[in-house]
Amino acid sequence: MVSAQKGQVRVITGNAVGAYGALLCRPEVVAAYPITPQSEIAEQIAQFVNNGELDAEYVEVEGENSAMNVVLGASVAGARVFTATSSYGLVFMYDALQETSGYRAPVVMVNANRETPGIHAVSSGQQDMVSTRDTGWVQIIVENDQEILDQIIMSYRLAEDNNILLPVMVNYDGFYLSYLAEAVEIPLIEDVDAFLAPLKKQTPRQKLVPGVNIGCGTHGIEMGYVEARYKHCQAMERVKPKVDEIDKAFGDYFGRYYGGQIEEYRTDDADIIILASGSATGTVRTVVDSKREKGIKVGLVKLRLFRPFPAERLIEALQGKKAIGVIDRSVGFGWKYGPICTELRALSREIGTAPILSYIDGLANLDITIPHIERVVDELDTAAKGKPYQEVTWIPMEE
Amino acid sequence: MVDATKKRNRVFDYFIEEEQFAGGVAWCAGCPLELTARFVPKVLGKKMIFVGTPGCAAPVLHGQNIGAWHHLAYMASVMTGVPSKATGLSRYYHKTGQEATVVCFTGDGCATDVGFQPLSGAAERNERIIYIAYDNEGYMNTGNQRSSATPLGAATTTTPVGKIKRGKPTPAKNMPMVMLMHKPRYMATATLSHLEDFAKKLTKAKEAAKEGFVYLHVFAPCPVGWRIDSNRVIEVCRTAVRTNYFPLWEAENGKPRFTLEVASPKPVGEFTKLMRKFSHLDENGMKDLQRTVDERFALIKGLCEVYKE
Repeated sequence: MVSAQKGQVRVITGNAVGAYGALLCRPEVVAAYPITPQSEIAEQIAQFVNNGELDAEYVEVEGENSAMNVVLGASVAGARVFTATSSYGLVFMYDALQETSGYRAPVVMVNANRETPGIHAVSSGQQDMVSTRDTGWVQIIVENDQEILDQIIMSYRLAEDNNILLPVMVNYDGFYLSYLAEAVEIPLIEDVDAFLAPLKKQTPRQKLVPGVNIGCGTHGIEMGYVEARYKHCQAMERVKPKVDEIDKAFGDYFGRYYGGQIEEYRTDDADIIILASGSATGTVRTVVDSKREKGIKVGLVKLRLFRPFPAERLIEALQGKKAIGVIDRSVGFGWKYGPICTELRALSREIGTAPILSYIDGLANLDITIPHIERVVDELDTAAKGKPYQEVTWIPMEE
Repeated sequence: MVDATKKRNRVFDYFIEEEQFAGGVAWCAGCPLELTARFVPKVLGKKMIFVGTPGCAAPVLHGQNIGAWHHLAYMASVMTGVPSKATGLSRYYHKTGQEATVVCFTGDGCATDVGFQPLSGAAERNERIIYIAYDNEGYMNTGNQRSSATPLGAATTTTPVGKIKRGKPTPAKNMPMVMLMHKPRYMATATLSHLEDFAKKLTKAKEAAKEGFVYLHVFAPCPVGWRIDSNRVIEVCRTAVRTNYFPLWEAENGKPRFTLEVASPKPVGEFTKLMRKFSHLDENGMKDLQRTVDERFALIKGLCEVYKE
């Protein structure tokens, strides 16, 4: 495959990027409901449709639950679909999220991460994503505006692959990326068409066709249900190598690589590792560089794939390290560790003897700052030397 | 086929399709829902898709472990998503030029309670779908619990007759009127005792759904929950019409008209005596029920007068 042409570089917000990402993939049915900090996507796509720039049915639904149900219905009929949401909107879809993955509908959705429980929820945090992790969706976390755009394109390649056929949720930090304007290269739509063209060469997926005796539902019980669940879980396993494969194909064509399931930054010779995700990884990268200058062998693993959890890649990256710190932008009720840390600890035996330290930070729009990360590196350095350490730290509570 | 020159077509004249359901389906003896489900595709034709929910219709329409008991396309949904899924299907079929009649088929519980928001939303957006609510005045599949379509005074398992409270304390949500206020492209009430009327309305519904939203409210008494003899269900339907408990009317673009006006309606007691769900009502209870029937009829009659050409 030859390289894509140079796209147009524009300085736009993460939300506008989300809308452009959708536009470039030519969805045929879009349904969305406004919610802070995502509303701009719903507005921008409506404008694209009303300007004739996007040939799609746009359904201005009366709630997020309906948004998901509309795109599910359209997807089952055979359409390429798109929707966007955040926070309470995402959890209001909870039943429909499970139906969508149960139907194996290749829906692509953008979720601007926002806090969920409590009344003061209009702020950034990954709790919405964590609250829906067991709905059978593929969940991917991105770091910056360019990655939002690129990941939406890659998500269609993933979701609509006949060996996958699962809905994909692209998560980015609400507020931080929603309203942050950055320079973004917007590829030409012809090049996006070319990148998505392999999907058209597949055998067409099964669709609900009027007049044809075919039904679909989730009323299977006993073995019908068990088989559907088994196949769903098998497909989740296939997502992991597929994400790496698509990332490579995307990079080869567009010139931007993201590492697939995880991105490793200065990890090869590192003794200590910070595992982080989302917009905060930029800050972590800065601190890794500055601490390296002081002789501390620290590296970053950026978690991109949250569901399915990239166990094999993480084991490979973390095996033999001397200390690992996990930064969670959400809480895990019932476990003292953050949710991503809890998941990582399931791999403790494979990773080795490194202490795993859990850090809760960046809840409710609190910044994950350079001093915060420096503190994490210093504590990991201490722990790596076999000295006593604190297992769980709520950084803002100790400032 | 329907002959427009004939003064009165017989019900068979409206049929364009063969029977689509298997015999011996899993519905209760005497259930009018079975007859309704069998009837609808005969008039609407094979290019219809049932979108429905868990409920009395689910086992037959969407399969109970095995496949469904009919030859039509269908999509199952939880109760919160029926008109929205139908919207997605209908929008895509329309966009791609595929002929389809997308039919939501749910009970009154889904339509009036938990699934009301998307129903109202789809009606307001004027989606090209037909929503058929079969009204058995409660959650019959889960064992006769009250819904907001349960009438005043009726005994259900969640409004039981006790020593200090006896039956449902509030009247049913006037769902046909609520939907009329959405000004759908077409809407109607119908029941199995008046089959030609029902068939004619389905035929109109199919045409209207090519342009916009259609709502059909079908009265479907539950022999088990209401405690009716299973051989008297159609009689209950007819009596509901003749007492004005369930008047038959339709509305095109929000303008209502009666399709049958009962010359001298009987008291509601003629209807309630056919079942046992009202048998605990005393004279005052019956008066209250009669008042809600009269008020509702006066309301629709008044609106019909307003729109009389």
